[in-house]
Amino acid sequence: MAKNRENEEVRTFAEEADSLWLITFACSIWAIHFVVCYGAAAFVCAKWSSNPAVITNMRVGLGIISVLALCAVSYIGWRSWVQWDFLDDYDYEHDLAKEEHRHEFLGHASFLLSVISFIGVIYVSLPILFLETCQ
Amino acid sequence: MTQSTQNRESSSSGVATYPPTEQMLEEKIDKRTQEKTADRLRKAWETPKGWRYWSAVNNSEVGVWYSLTAFFFMMCAGVLALLMRVQLAVPENDFLSADTFNQFFTMHGSAMMFLFAVPMFEAISILVLPALLGARDMPFPRLSAYGYWCFLIGGIFVMGSILFGVAPNSGWFMYPPLATKAEGVGSDIWLLGLSFIEVASIAAAVELIVGVLKCRPPGMRINLMPLYGWYVLVVGGMILFAFPPLIAGDFLFELERSFDWPFFDPERGGDPMLWQHLFWIFGHPEVYIVFLPSIAIAAMVVPTVAQRPIVGYSWIVLSAVGTGFLSFGLWVHHMFTTGLPSISLGFFTAASEAVVIPTGIQLFAFVATLMVGRVKLNLPMLYIAGALAIFTAGGLTGVMLALAPFDWQVHDTYFVVAHLHYTLFGGMVFPLIAGIYYFYPFFTKKQMSVRLGKIAFWLLFTGFHIAFLPMHLTGLMGMPRRVYTYPSTLGWDWLNMISTVGAFIVAVGFLVFTYDLLRPKGKQPYTPRNPYNAGTLEWSHNIPDEAWGSRSIPYITSRYPLWDQEKIVERMDAGRYYLADAPEGKRETLITTVLDAKPIQVMRVTGPAWITICAAIFTGGAFIFPTFHWYPPAIVSGILAIACVLYWLWTSTAPIPEQKTKDAGLGLNLPIYASGPASAGWWGVWITMLGDSTAFASLIFGFFFYWTAKENFVPSGSDFVLASYLVLGVLSFAVTWATLVGARALNRRGSTKTARNLLLVSALFTIAGTALFCLSVVNSGLEPTSHVYPAIIWAIMVWTVVHTAVGLIMLGYCIAGATFGKLTPEHDADLCNVTLYWHFIIITVVVASLVIGLLPRLL
Repeated sequence: MAKNRENEEVRTFAEEADSLWLITFACSIWAIHFVVCYGAAAFVCAKWSSNPAVITNMRVGLGIISVLALCAVSYIGWRSWVQWDFLDDYDYEHDLAKEEHRHEFLGHASFLLSVISFIGVIYVSLPILFLETCQ
Repeated sequence: MTQSTQNRESSSSGVATYPPTEQMLEEKIDKRTQEKTADRLRKAWETPKGWRYWSAVNNSEVGVWYSLTAFFFMMCAGVLALLMRVQLAVPENDFLSADTFNQFFTMHGSAMMFLFAVPMFEAISILVLPALLGARDMPFPRLSAYGYWCFLIGGIFVMGSILFGVAPNSGWFMYPPLATKAEGVGSDIWLLGLSFIEVASIAAAVELIVGVLKCRPPGMRINLMPLYGWYVLVVGGMILFAFPPLIAGDFLFELERSFDWPFFDPERGGDPMLWQHLFWIFGHPEVYIVFLPSIAIAAMVVPTVAQRPIVGYSWIVLSAVGTGFLSFGLWVHHMFTTGLPSISLGFFTAASEAVVIPTGIQLFAFVATLMVGRVKLNLPMLYIAGALAIFTAGGLTGVMLALAPFDWQVHDTYFVVAHLHYTLFGGMVFPLIAGIYYFYPFFTKKQMSVRLGKIAFWLLFTGFHIAFLPMHLTGLMGMPRRVYTYPSTLGWDWLNMISTVGAFIVAVGFLVFTYDLLRPKGKQPYTPRNPYNAGTLEWSHNIPDEAWGSRSIPYITSRYPLWDQEKIVERMDAGRYYLADAPEGKRETLITTVLDAKPIQVMRVTGPAWITICAAIFTGGAFIFPTFHWYPPAIVSGILAIACVLYWLWTSTAPIPEQKTKDAGLGLNLPIYASGPASAGWWGVWITMLGDSTAFASLIFGFFFYWTAKENFVPSGSDFVLASYLVLGVLSFAVTWATLVGARALNRRGSTKTARNLLLVSALFTIAGTALFCLSVVNSGLEPTSHVYPAIIWAIMVWTVVHTAVGLIMLGYCIAGATFGKLTPEHDADLCNVTLYWHFIIITVVVASLVIGLLPRLL
């Protein structure tokens, strides 16, 4: 019994991880991608702004990271789509007091947030594509 | 079998009767029982009378004080704006001196943001949220009261400084070196006074998040939660990540002002840009922290006006959460002209454009709801319509300003002033007034005048455009912000005169509104109970007013229970639902699970108290005395504040109940005591520490910032932190943490004596660790005033040891609890919370020691 109670913290997180946290995942990937892009650019431009080779490498590196971020967001989007399970019952409102509706609602919200995050990652990647120097 | 097992089993047998069946709800309760239970409940929730009234902690009292105080500060800041407009009405005016003008615009911005916009959100949420959730009160009522008193004291201190002509005068963003070098106490008043209020804001955020997650009525699953709840959740989360960087910035700034540690002084390796980053990492999300809760009001008003459920509930959740995240990627758009690399500016332009998408989506959802509904235009909707119009215009100039090349043209001109007032009036002021009109019958059981409301609307709406529309042009014509006067040859005269006229029309509008808000309505009959035929729970309120919040806590199966759940109000009134009685005379509310809102605990909440006011006064002293460099009284105040808080916690939080479980109604038997993640307190600590870690992360960011931005951040030949002391210190803290975790486990197994001894070991190692950590820096020969490198090391050390010292007090509290029977194997909430605190602290200690001990050697 005592052991059971000790694991309470772990279990609570596990339950939440399955659910409410899901809606923050896609946006978190956007945030991490954003911070990595900003941090890398700030660092490279502060230390090697006169060296075009380093900047090119940085742009390629960030490009790869952007593609990875898009893949990760797509994966979250796909998982949320499965959780939403729209094509099963075409439920869009999720306004009933049922476990299923709660489950599908979180999938739906998370799916929409994945779409936003996907667009956000593309937006933030554009400067890497177009700007060839720090200035 | 331990007591806790019994708790669990009795509660699980209780769950068998949950959810309640229609038959159970149908059962009649006889009149006499109804009256008897109502009397007992009324007595438990009675608001103190006479002078004791001020000891009240109930959300309905604290919320009213809070909102009226915030409103008062708004009016003060508004008067400052009017005086500035008088000064600017004609060229070369000498109505105000340059210094007074500087103080006025600084205080106008600071007060509107810190003393009005954010506190107003907290105030309205404290007032409305429990009712929306059918809850009795907020989970930590004394914390709300403490937050309010802190806000009042801090607000009067900061606002009052203007009467003595010593107010801060470097702009609401306090840029160094102007603000660090500013003479007088103005900058210190800003830093310490507002830090004090920020602490209160974080307290409110913690309470609101826990309220939304844990205090929903049974059955209100996360997909049925009122949209207001979603917004509060998002905004609470944003406060936790946005305010701490500013607190960290304030900490560094005040260390520079008071002790000359050169964080922002380029001559000694510092960098003023760090302040700008920390300020705007707070400052931009702040704009959305202000906007989202106000637009949340629109999300409540619109379905009522359209008489149908909101269109696109999931889309609005997307909007709130998405805006919350994206708003953290915008801060540099306030710093486009600081010479950052263009590629960096590009990222922020991109994110600033992206945030328009979620922000726009919710507005479209509102419009769609109105289009498909049967709209009955009322006063709140009139203001919402005005808000949408103004906000959209402000949003469009926002899209323009987010483009770096455009921003370079109009940076620091009146164009920006126009833009920000359009967004804040449209995004905050108008929806807020709509909310006040909408909820007024709920707050006071009376109604405001429709005629005066319309007059005020047209004055505000037209006045606003007359004042701020010309400013776009003034700005494009080149008039800079924050100048106290201008020559007449530049063609700005007539535009400024028009703006001034507009400002006075706005002021008249506010006067009409204020008169209507505050005029006595004693003779007016009570309002109908649900005057707009709304669907959400707050309109089940009692008329005349009752302090209990909700006669009985309902079982919810719909987003709009008052529309969809037949007889719900009648059954609530009859006490047919949960917690209809208070046989022990205690204030209680239900705690439910995060996702599905299954009832899990009857939580006892605290009642009226003076100790919260004492704690706030002494906390105020600890912040206010250092402004004048009076350190001894500040330290005494700090100690007394800690003493008050300890007394408050010891006497009233997580008391051991007289029985293990109680009948919550409808056959549900729930535990009264909970510890660990099942308890609200644990969530409070978790959320607070999340905010605290953000502040710590900001300090660490500072270290890396200096390393990136400065050529010789670790000057060659510098001393290092003493490794031996540091390693021993970290090991001591590791022992602290391990023994604490061990003590918690042993205590639960019933070995209370061993657990207590382990806690003592834990405390001793905390003392040792703290001392070693201090010595590793103090004895290293690093002189914090000499250069930014030793200064940031000292700052990280001070931050860490303050936290371990607080951890020591917590350990002492647990030892006392174990000694005096407050901490037992079944009642270990305090120990769980302290362990959680130390989980965070051990991470802080490890990161801090790596950054100050290892990194400088590697770099």
